[in-house]
Amino acid sequence: MEDELIDILMTFGFPVCRQGSISKNEDYPESFFTFWNNDSVDHAHYDNAERGTEWDFDVNFYSVDPEKTYSVLADARQRLKHRGWIISGKGYDVASDEVTHTGRGMNVFYLQM
Amino acid sequence: MGKNSLKLETHAFDELLEKLDGLEANLIPIVEDALSQAAETITEDTKEAMAKGNLPAKGEFSHGDTEKSINRDTAVKWNGMQAEVNVGFDFEKPGAGGYLITGTPRMKPNSKLKKIYKSKRYMKQIEQDMTDIFHDAIEDYMGG
Repeated sequence: MEDELIDILMTFGFPVCRQGSISKNEDYPESFFTFWNNDSVDHAHYDNAERGTEWDFDVNFYSVDPEKTYSVLADARQRLKHRGWIISGKGYDVASDEVTHTGRGMNVFYLQM
Repeated sequence: MGKNSLKLETHAFDELLEKLDGLEANLIPIVEDALSQAAETITEDTKEAMAKGNLPAKGEFSHGDTEKSINRDTAVKWNGMQAEVNVGFDFEKPGAGGYLITGTPRMKPNSKLKKIYKSKRYMKQIEQDMTDIFHDAIEDYMGG
């Protein structure tokens, strides 16, 4: 499901990378997504076999444009929901290493059967 | 962002609480015991997650502010029939560590804090521990 999440986020045309993967010596892109896989839990068990997986990711968007920080994350939320991802709430502020950028994040789930 | 409050999810424990009520148990100390123990577990696990070895750069740049912002008051507060207790970081204090849970583009999330504050599995175990306390109370009241 990580590949699918990345594919969906890449449709926005911004870089997508794993949270924590930008090195100290590397500049932030002007606007970009990050993600992190929090967990992947078995949905249910029958006859000693798992049935389905619940995927849990964080998706964050950072930008030099504060308006974009809100609007692109909101659009990403809609695009993911249309593809069956489950997202509650409209996001929260996330810390940025750079004073030039603001960030917003959301928690997204997918039930893979 | 305010304090993280652990709130007793009465819906999950309704059946057990009704049984105890039916046995004429005094629910308040039982609920407070379950909630306090859960809060102490979460607080101790949070403090362990904040040990220097678990921080970015093994805590080399840590000033201790985030560790000081861990809420240590595990007293249960009642709001009508709803009981709650504060756990986690007090975001009203400087240095509170929300960024350690979410990470930043240059810093991976703290996996131990993630497990505590974002993992369903961890909270399920906390809820199971609380359920066990209610079951023990039921047995006591039934003379078991």
